[in-house]
Amino acid sequence: MIEVRNIYKSFENKDVLKNISKVFNEGETNLIIGRSGSGKTVLLKSIVGLHEVDQGQILYDGRDFTKMNPKLRKKLRQEMGMVFQGGALFDSLTVEENVRFPLDMFSEMSGVEKQKQVDFCLERVNIRDANKLYPSEISGGMQKRVAIARAIVLNPKYLFCDEPNSGLDPETSLVIDKLVRSITVDLKITTIINTHDMNSVMEIGDNILFISDGEMCWEGNRKEILHSTNQKLQEFVFANKQYQRIRDDKIKE
Amino acid sequence: MKSLEQVGKYFELLVRVFSKPERHSIYVRQVFNEIDNLGVNSVGIVTVISIFMGGIMTLQVAYNLQNPLLPIYLIGLGTRDTLILEFSSTILALIMAGKIGSNITSEIGSMKVTEQIDSLEIMGVNSASYLILPKIIAVVLMFPVLYIISVFFGLIGGLIVGPAVGAVTATDYLNGIQYLFNSYYVTYSLIKCLVFGFLISSISAFFGYTVEGGAFDVGTASTRAVVNTNIMILVWDLILTQLLF
Ligand SMILES: Nc1ncnc2c1ncn2[C@@H]1O[C@H](COP(=O)(O)OP(=O)(O)O)[C@@H](O)[C@H]1O
Ligand SMILES: [Mg+2]
Repeated sequence: MIEVRNIYKSFENKDVLKNISKVFNEGETNLIIGRSGSGKTVLLKSIVGLHEVDQGQILYDGRDFTKMNPKLRKKLRQEMGMVFQGGALFDSLTVEENVRFPLDMFSEMSGVEKQKQVDFCLERVNIRDANKLYPSEISGGMQKRVAIARAIVLNPKYLFCDEPNSGLDPETSLVIDKLVRSITVDLKITTIINTHDMNSVMEIGDNILFISDGEMCWEGNRKEILHSTNQKLQEFVFANKQYQRIRDDKIKE
Repeated sequence: MKSLEQVGKYFELLVRVFSKPERHSIYVRQVFNEIDNLGVNSVGIVTVISIFMGGIMTLQVAYNLQNPLLPIYLIGLGTRDTLILEFSSTILALIMAGKIGSNITSEIGSMKVTEQIDSLEIMGVNSASYLILPKIIAVVLMFPVLYIISVFFGLIGGLIVGPAVGAVTATDYLNGIQYLFNSYYVTYSLIKCLVFGFLISSISAFFGYTVEGGAFDVGTASTRAVVNTNIMILVWDLILTQLLF
């Protein structure tokens, strides 16, 4: 469980996050949604400490990350996995080396054990016969899946995904969404996903935080989202008319 | 004011670069990769540039000394001392700031803008140290080697070009390059090389590591890195010459 309490973040007098508080549960896909530029990435990076918050607390199962010294943070980081918007695979390493990298850095496993874990994770994300390829040689969807494999290779307790679907076709997006969901449920980890994709919201939105201009606007789940009366949320959700129809159909029933 | 802030950030980064690494074995492997990537891959260009410059210098000295009163050995000696004192250290450093430096800035800069550096940080890896330290070590170690290669091929260049165009005979040239040899010149230049190697690798890494934005900004950063490195090389050339002579 991750709890965020009253966090604020600004850059050079531009207030990006304003008083955000939220509990993210384990075993569920927690979504942060909002339009581009609303502050999703800044929020996610603040939670993991890539940005220093100006105010507020971030609790990882009760452990206050904002008060930790660099050494403790480093230890906690080994319990985190993160998938960045562009995948962020190391382009000088092969697929397999990318996934093995965290093991080489931090685990005491033997070479054989490492290989087993790498194979297991690549299997988990359905990557086969691509072990020796470089990131530039595989498709965007595969890159994202390899990034997920790398993020889970150290068996993290916390998984963060920044727009895992950006730049992917709807079908591949669905595959990625389902993959992240099943990993979350199977391994009982706390997963936070940034997205502006309504398809993902309807597919995997167990626990949703909607932010607009860095302020929290609405919280709920995918069943509630279509029936919210929040003005800003409605604008976001029904920007795509399809969801209006889905709602209206449901109401008629 | 802005540049003072930059200097502060540069030293802040250096502190992180020189803090304790995670896994020594991985760092050692990285150092060898970088020696290959930054050092060994520069041997070709250094050789070519040095042969040409050695040849050109020999001609210049020869044409400017067409006075029968001046001893002929000055041609070889002039070429040798120019190579040893300034060309193979300072001028080569300026050239290498363009080659090695922009390579370092663009590599680290692209890793920054594609969030690969964030990836390292989130894993708990000290990205500054992991990415930059092996490059600094590799360049500092390789630069003196490149210097020696440059002096050697510069002298060969003179030996090829001088006699070929009839500016000096091979015997006179070879006598010249051995005449009044002062080994302290080499020591002085090797010290400069260590400093230049550090400047090239650390300054260009700094500009890469602090890029914000996208591919365009990586390009801008590379240019700024080369310009700033060149200025610092000349400043330190002045300082070291003052200190060491
Ligand atoms: N490093 C930064 N420095 C200054 N402003 C930033 C920085 N990162 C993000 N911002 C600003 O914060 C706002 C939110 O950005 P971001 O979190 O990336 O939005 P998104 O919801 O699309 O992920 C934007 O207006 C952006 O310009
Ligand atoms: Mg974003």
